[in-house]
Amino acid sequence: MTEPSESFKPYTLSQTLTGHKRAISAVKFSSNGRLLASSSADKTLRTYAFTNSDSDSGSRTLSPMQEYEGHEQGVSDLAFSSDSRFLVSASDDKTLRLWDVPTGSLIKTLHGHTNYVFCVNFNPQSNIIVSGSFDETVRVWDVKSGKCLKVLPAHSDPVTAVDFNRDGSLIVSSSYDGLCRIWDASTGHCMKTLIDDENPPVSFVKFSPNGKFILVGTLDNTLRLWNYSTGKFLKSYTGHVNSKYCLSSTFSITNGKYVVGGSEDNCIYLWELQTRKIVQKLEGHSDTVVSVSCHPMENMIASGALGNDKTVKIWTQQKD
Amino acid sequence: MNTPIIDPLQGDFPEVIEEYLEHGCMKCIAFNRRGTLLAAGCNDGSCVVWDFETRGVAKELRDNECSSPITSVCWSKCGNRILVSAADKSLSLWDVLSGKRMTRIVLQQTSLQARLHPGSSMPSLCLACPLSCAPMIVDLNTGNTTSLKVSVSEISNGPNLPSRNKCSDGITSFTPTAACFSKYGSLVYVGNSKGEILVIDHQDGEVRAMVPISGGSVVKNIVFSRNGQYLLTNSNDRVIRIYENLLPLKEEVRALDDLNKNFNDLDGVEKLKAVGTKCLTLFREFQDSITKVHWKAPCFSGDGEWVVGGSASKGEHKIYIWDRAGHLVKILEGPKEALIDLAWHPVRPIVVSVSLNGIVYIWAKDYTENWSAFAPDFKELEENEEYVEREDEFDLIPETEKVKGSDVNEDEEVDIVTVEEDAAFSDSDMSQEELCFLPATPSRDVPEQDKCLESSSKLVDSTNTGSPLSEEAGPNGHMPNQASSPVEDDAGGARVKRKRKPSEKVLELQAEKIKKPSKPSKSSKPRGKSLVDQDNSNGFDGVELTDE
Repeated sequence: MTEPSESFKPYTLSQTLTGHKRAISAVKFSSNGRLLASSSADKTLRTYAFTNSDSDSGSRTLSPMQEYEGHEQGVSDLAFSSDSRFLVSASDDKTLRLWDVPTGSLIKTLHGHTNYVFCVNFNPQSNIIVSGSFDETVRVWDVKSGKCLKVLPAHSDPVTAVDFNRDGSLIVSSSYDGLCRIWDASTGHCMKTLIDDENPPVSFVKFSPNGKFILVGTLDNTLRLWNYSTGKFLKSYTGHVNSKYCLSSTFSITNGKYVVGGSEDNCIYLWELQTRKIVQKLEGHSDTVVSVSCHPMENMIASGALGNDKTVKIWTQQKD
Repeated sequence: MNTPIIDPLQGDFPEVIEEYLEHGCMKCIAFNRRGTLLAAGCNDGSCVVWDFETRGVAKELRDNECSSPITSVCWSKCGNRILVSAADKSLSLWDVLSGKRMTRIVLQQTSLQARLHPGSSMPSLCLACPLSCAPMIVDLNTGNTTSLKVSVSEISNGPNLPSRNKCSDGITSFTPTAACFSKYGSLVYVGNSKGEILVIDHQDGEVRAMVPISGGSVVKNIVFSRNGQYLLTNSNDRVIRIYENLLPLKEEVRALDDLNKNFNDLDGVEKLKAVGTKCLTLFREFQDSITKVHWKAPCFSGDGEWVVGGSASKGEHKIYIWDRAGHLVKILEGPKEALIDLAWHPVRPIVVSVSLNGIVYIWAKDYTENWSAFAPDFKELEENEEYVEREDEFDLIPETEKVKGSDVNEDEEVDIVTVEEDAAFSDSDMSQEELCFLPATPSRDVPEQDKCLESSSKLVDSTNTGSPLSEEAGPNGHMPNQASSPVEDDAGGARVKRKRKPSEKVLELQAEKIKKPSKPSKSSKPRGKSLVDQDNSNGFDGVELTDE
């Protein structure tokens, strides 16, 4: 049996990005690995680009690139399109907005939700956007025209997360009502509902890279990996604190397989995927770490924290 | 789709019109290999590529040189190219992603059908079936054409016959001959006017086998199923015949050579017939024995399980669906306009039909809500079941201690990165990158202009027309006109309208917020009323009125 924990190199803080004036709500790397974006309760989004560092080829630093203003209320989530040209943001002003990344200009506003829009994602082909809202519905939008293609009667409580699988054929949604539902993206029909004996509010859900499993975060301080076809969960990850906020988590697959998640004790937890052991606790933030994102190619983690902290921190592995 | 909970090749068939697409006057349609894009050739010489997932126009291929109606559209296997044949005798090859025309060849006659060679990812050969002479292989790079033989009696004549206006076998003058490539393109199957199927090796133009169809009537269409195992012919005697392909899919020519050796004692036509018996066997015949209707545009479903054919009668839009065993399973009736083209989605149970007035109808399954999907322990019953209570059902028993430990073996290895091959597209062994979708560029919102939606008489903006499903106009509300959209496929005067049959639930949700769709588009369509009735959007209208 492999013992990857022996060869695990700890992450250390390599950069802190300031600028947001209120709590951060989400951080995401673009799929080409060149940009990082963050959204905040201060109604703006920011992007940061990697600058060519000097002699040290290993560590690259991020510097602020653009600021995106236009929302009338705080922003809860954001997503990059697959070609990194567009950003979509979900806000408490009940709209979603499409931004042109390089110039920062607002391209489109998507109206339709009747309450705070909480989560958003592009499909891999990036011709469709899915969003979840406090109005308990999930909406599917056409990127080109901005029209709402479908309204899914998804849940009976605020929808906390939405995600596409890797070929864009399925949508997963989670909600405070304790359910995760899988939808056929092309028809909008419900395919499956995942339910366990107890149903604590689900704060986050995301597909695995191969689209076969979903990572589910619940407000009982647990992260679980479910096989949605069988309807059973396979792994659970504990040790962190998550009972109030919708903290996002993700997979780290660039150097061994890990699950990375934020926590309300101001730390970032790294669990080994298979053994579920905590291999590292990253400390540094001064408030709940509400969002984490892993760089698609390099061993880098970005994290954002709430109002007491307001920073985005970048963590990398030390070179030998 | 590597999703085990959705079966991509469901053995199901569509039942109702789900939606219709309108953009100019479309004449013929073709799905790309994955069914994510639908290309439609129009009356004005342009070709529209629809994004089938969003049901919006993804690209428009417009050519200043060609303004005559398109007669056929064909995708290359990798989806990068579209071949279009038009009524001005031309064939045009387009690059889909850039929207640029790569080649244009003018033939001696208009091709009714043009098919790209399916074997290669960057095909340079295509098969063209002209209006009234033998089908030919056209080399798109050089413009050379090679006519194929359409009759076995020509073999004794020897030389290859040049294409002439009159059909060379002298039976009837202006009968088009149908032809299609085999699955990998090494052979061409021709259905001629004598009711014979000829198997031709297009490299040397030699007829290798011949299969006579009983009754000997003119073959109008000939098409293979997607897996290459079944061949369908549509004849003038109003019968659709299904043949099973006995040749191996990849080494067809070699198999034919072997068969040829076996029948060395025979000669000429006899030999061809003998080889033919080893190539195809008649599997089924379909006909409507009561109404004896002529068929139009018959084809297979994506998995070959179903056969669909349109009724060629004028004034009716009927689609017949049979299972491969020969049973008629469904007749779809559309609005009262003749059907001119038909296509089955490669993977989903969706049929797309084109009516005479240029509208594309999308037929899909009538979905009934699967309640077990919403609540896993909810079991749907077919009929009432009598429930008998247990003896101790209502007894008060102290809860037995639940063992909290999960009986899940959490130590098992989980693989989150390996992706399974998609079984439906297992022969994607191409070096060329397959084009599955066109990148979507969002069209810029127009700054708020205070205008009624109904005041416009002509909608110029093909996007952002009054959306039936959108909410009240906010700051960047949908103002349909004056949007000089930067999107290049926004042809002036072209109207894109999408109508969908909203489900009950959606109607309820939208009832309070719906905004009237632009009136002009309804009034300027004379047949709008019948269409509205037919595809059952009366509920839509009803909602619209109550909003007032």
